[in-house]
Amino acid sequence: MNWSHVKLIFHREVRDQLRDRRTMFTICILPLLLYPLMGMVMLQVAQFHREQHVSIGIFGYENWPSDSPLILESSDPSQIRWKTLTVDDSIGATLEQFQTVQTQTNSEFKNKSTESYIVDGKAAEKLLRQVHCDAVIWVPPGYHRSISDNPLVILSNQRWERSQLAIRLLAEELEGWHLSWIRTQLAWTELGTALVDPLAIRQLDVSRPEVKRALVWTKILPFVMLIWALTGAFYPAIDLCAGEKERGTLETLLCSPARRKEIVWGKLLTIMCFSIGTAMLNLASMHTTTSIVMTQFSQLGATDMVASLGPLPLHSMGWLILLVIPISAMFSALALAVASLARSTKEGQYYLMPLLLVGMPLVMLPMIPGVTLSHGTSVVPVTGAVLMSRAMIDGEYGLALLHLPTVMAVTLFCCFLSKQWAIRQFESESVMFRDSERSSVAQWIRNVWRQREDTPTCNESILCGLLILVGLFFGRLSLSGMPQSWTSVVQSTLVIQVGIILTPALIMATMLTRCVRKALRLHRPRPLDMMAAASLAVCLHPTYMAFAAAVGKEYKLGEQTTSMLMQFDSIISSTPIWQVLLMLALIPAICEELVFRGFLFAGLQRNGGQVRAILVTAAFFGLSHGVLQQTITASVMGVMIGWIAYRSGGVACTIAFHATHNSISMMLAWYSSRGFNSPHCLSWAIEHCDGHLAYTSTWGALSVGIAITLIAWFATRGSVLSNPRSSIGLNDLHQQRVKFTA
Amino acid sequence: MDFVQVQNLCKNYPDAALGEFKALDNVSFVARAGEVFGLLGPNGAGKTTALRILATILQPSSGSVRIYNFDVTEQADFVRHSIGFVSNNTAVYDRMSAWEFVEYFGRLYALPADRLYPRMEKIFRTLQMDEFRDCPGVKMSTGMKQKVSIARALIHDPPVLIFDEASLGLDVMVARALQSIVMDLRDQGKCIIYSTHIMREVERLCDHVAIIYKGKLLDTGTLEELADRHEQNDFEELFFQLLTQGDKGHFDAKPPAGLGMRLRTDSTASQGSAL
Repeated sequence: MNWSHVKLIFHREVRDQLRDRRTMFTICILPLLLYPLMGMVMLQVAQFHREQHVSIGIFGYENWPSDSPLILESSDPSQIRWKTLTVDDSIGATLEQFQTVQTQTNSEFKNKSTESYIVDGKAAEKLLRQVHCDAVIWVPPGYHRSISDNPLVILSNQRWERSQLAIRLLAEELEGWHLSWIRTQLAWTELGTALVDPLAIRQLDVSRPEVKRALVWTKILPFVMLIWALTGAFYPAIDLCAGEKERGTLETLLCSPARRKEIVWGKLLTIMCFSIGTAMLNLASMHTTTSIVMTQFSQLGATDMVASLGPLPLHSMGWLILLVIPISAMFSALALAVASLARSTKEGQYYLMPLLLVGMPLVMLPMIPGVTLSHGTSVVPVTGAVLMSRAMIDGEYGLALLHLPTVMAVTLFCCFLSKQWAIRQFESESVMFRDSERSSVAQWIRNVWRQREDTPTCNESILCGLLILVGLFFGRLSLSGMPQSWTSVVQSTLVIQVGIILTPALIMATMLTRCVRKALRLHRPRPLDMMAAASLAVCLHPTYMAFAAAVGKEYKLGEQTTSMLMQFDSIISSTPIWQVLLMLALIPAICEELVFRGFLFAGLQRNGGQVRAILVTAAFFGLSHGVLQQTITASVMGVMIGWIAYRSGGVACTIAFHATHNSISMMLAWYSSRGFNSPHCLSWAIEHCDGHLAYTSTWGALSVGIAITLIAWFATRGSVLSNPRSSIGLNDLHQQRVKFTA
Repeated sequence: MDFVQVQNLCKNYPDAALGEFKALDNVSFVARAGEVFGLLGPNGAGKTTALRILATILQPSSGSVRIYNFDVTEQADFVRHSIGFVSNNTAVYDRMSAWEFVEYFGRLYALPADRLYPRMEKIFRTLQMDEFRDCPGVKMSTGMKQKVSIARALIHDPPVLIFDEASLGLDVMVARALQSIVMDLRDQGKCIIYSTHIMREVERLCDHVAIIYKGKLLDTGTLEELADRHEQNDFEELFFQLLTQGDKGHFDAKPPAGLGMRLRTDSTASQGSAL
C-alpha cells in the first residue's frame, strides 16, 4: 500500500469535486439555504395562521340568555369575527329543516352539552355562502328559558378548512362560556363553584431546561444528520465511480501505478470528507436557523411544545460530530461499492433508492418510542451509534461509555466490510468493464439449462434462500395464530417444512443441476462421524440454552408470544413423545439441513467460498425462524452446523446434530410441561428448577470441555470427512420456552 | 530485444446468453524495441481486450504476457512503470487543465520535481501543447485531448507505448501529427504497439503486424511477408481476404514471425525533438 498514491488521489478528487458546481450546490449551498428558507416559510405560515380570522354568524341572538352573554364583546383578541344575523322568511324555513336531521356528535364538542348538527343538504351550504360565514350558530326560540331543552344548532362545512378552524375555535369559546355559566348558576346556590373544578393538580417538572430541550432534538438530529451523511456520500460516489466510467477517465487511472486498493482508499476518503462535510453543514445551518426561528416562535406566542424545543443545545453538536465520523465512513464505503456497479451517472442514481431503503430502517429504529441503548441494540449497526449519541446528548455518559466498545466494534467492523466490498468491486473486471446486458429471458433460461452442473451456482443458492424466506413470510401470515390442536401443529409443520422450505430446493436441484445427490450434498456418512455430531449436539445444548436465555433476557418476548408458547407447551404435553420428536425434531432437521447445509451450502461453497457458505447459510437459517430471539440463536448455532457441514462434506452429520439438538429441547419441554422430575440417574446433569427441567452447573461446565474436545476431533479429521451434517433445530416457538428455563 | 512477449493468451468473459465468451483464443506475438507493432482487426476482434491485458487493466484467463521482461500478472507494478497506454477510453479529466493532468500522473509515477517539471516542459513544447496548458479538459478539442493523453503516457519515459485506436476521431492534421510522434518514438528505440483498423496508417507506420479476428490470431509478420504469403500486394485487400478466410475457418494461428524488413510507403521525417 503506497499512501503517497492515496494522498495524491485524495487531493485530486477533492479538488475536482470542489470545482464541480453541482456537487458544491448539493453539498454546501443547499444546506446553507435550505434551513433558513424553511424557517422563513415556517415563520410566515405561523404568522399567517395567527392572523387568520374566521367568521361565525349567529341567528337568533336575541334568544341568548341575557344574564350571561356570549363572548361577542369579549372576543376581540381571538381569531373569531362574530356576525349577528337576522332570520328572514327564507332562512327561517331552512333553519327549521335542520331540527329534523339526524344528529351526530362532533369530536370538538364531545365533552360538552352541545351537539353539532351535520346536514347534507345543499340548502345549508347555500346558507353559509349566503351569509359569508365559516360557521353559523342558530339560537332557537326559548333558548334563554332552558338551554338544555333547546340545543344550539351549529352549521359548518367540514370540507372547508376554514370551517374546520371555525368549529375548533367555537368549541373553545363555548366551553369557556359553559364553565362560566355553571359557575354563575352555582353561585346562586349553597354548593359553591368548587363543584366545577373539584380536582386541583400542581405539576412539577424536575427536568433541567437544557436537557428537556435536548430531548426532542436527540430524536430528530441523528436522523437528519444520517440522511444527509448518506446523501452527501452518494452523490460524490456516483461522480467518482460511475461518472468516471462514463467520462472514460477511470481507465486512465487504472493503468497508472496506483493499485486498485489505493484508488479505492483515495476515493473513499474523498467521499467520506464530503459526507461528513454535508452532515456538519446541515447541522450548523439547522442550529443557526432553529435558534432564530424558535426565538421568533416564542415571541409569537407558540404552544408549549414548540417553545420547549428551543434552540439546538450546543453541547449536542459535539456528540453528533463524533457520531457522524464512523457512520459517514461506513456509508461512504457502501456508497462507493454500490456506485461502482453503475455504468453511468444516471444508472448510479437508480441505486440510491435501494441504499436508502436498506439504511432507513436502521436510522428509524432509534426513533421508535421505548428503544434505548442496551446490549441488544448496541450490536445493531447505525442504530447502536445513534442511540449512543442520544445517550451522550441526554447526559447519560455512564450508559454511553458502557456500550461504547460494542458500538465502536460493530461500526468499525461494518466499515471494514464495506471497504473490502468496495475494493472487491474495483478489482472485479465484470464490474469495472461490464457492457450492457442482453435481456433475452428465453436465451438465458436455455443457457441455464444447457450449462447445468453437478451443484448449483452461488446465485442459484442465494435465490433459493430468498424464495424460501419470502415463502415463509407469506406462509406464516396465512397460518394465522397459534395452532389450537396437535393436528394443526402437524399440518403447519408439514406445510412449512416440506411445502415451503424443502420443495423449492428440491425443484431447483432437479431443474438446475445435473446431480441431485451432489446438489443436496448427500454422501454416505461414517458412523463415527454421525455419533460424534450427535454427541456434540448433546454437549453443546447446555451452552446453547444459556446463550438463548441471555438473548431472551436482552430481547424480551412479548406477552402475546409468551402466552402462545405456554399454549404450545400444553398442546405437546398431551401428545405422545414419539410423535412430538418425529414432527418437531426429526422432520425439521431433515428438511432444513437438506436445504440450508445441502443445496444452499453446495452453491455457496464453490470457488473456495467455504467461509461464505458457512456464514450465509447461517444467516438464512436464522432468518427462517421468524422470531427475533430465535433468529439470533439459530444464526449463531447455524455457524457451528455450517462448520460441521464443511468438515464432514455432507448433510448426514448435520441432520444427526440438528435432530439430536431438537430432540433434547423437545424432551425437556415435554417432561417439564408434564411436571416430571429429573430421573435419579440424571440428577447430576438435570435438575428441577422453577417448575422446569434445567441443566446443572456441573454438567454445564463438563459439557463445554467435552464439546471442545469433539470440535477439536472434527477439526483434525481432514478437510472432507465422510459424514457429519449438522443441524440445529429451532424451528418452533416451543423451544423458546425451554431456553428460558436454563 | 523482445519488449513485449505474448504467448497463448486467452481471455474469457462470462456471458449471460452464451455462458462464456472467448474474447481472445490462444493469441501469441512478439514486439521488439525500435519497432511499431500493428495490432489489426475489425471491431470486436479482441484488440482492446489484448491491449488492456498488456496494460494490466485486465487479467488474462490463461497464457503468458511479459512486458519489458515483467509478467503482467505477477509484476503488474513494474509493468505499469514500463508502459504508456493511450486509448479512446483513457480520457482526460474535465475539471483539470492539461498541465495539472500531466503533473498528476507524473507524481503518481513518483517522478521527483527536478525531473518532472523539465520533462513536462519538454513534452509540452514537443507536442505543441503550450497554447492550451491551462485549458480545462472540458474545453479541449478532441485533438488537444489526444495530445494530453499522449503527454500523460510519455511523462515517465516508458520503453513500451501502447496506442489503442488513438487516431480515431482525429482530423487529418492531428492524425498526421500523431503518426509523426509515433515514428519519432520508434526512432528513439521504444517499442510501440499500435492498434488500428485504418489500413493506410498501418502501411505508413507498422514494421510488424498481427491480424486478429474473433479473438483468434489470423496471421502475423511484416507487411512484405504477409504480401508474399497471401500473394496480395494491396494490404486492404489482403486484410479483407484474411477475414473472409477466418470466417470460413481456413486459418490457424501462426507462430510469431521473425523480424522482417520495414515496408513504409511514406517515410515522414521526424518532426520535433526527441521525447
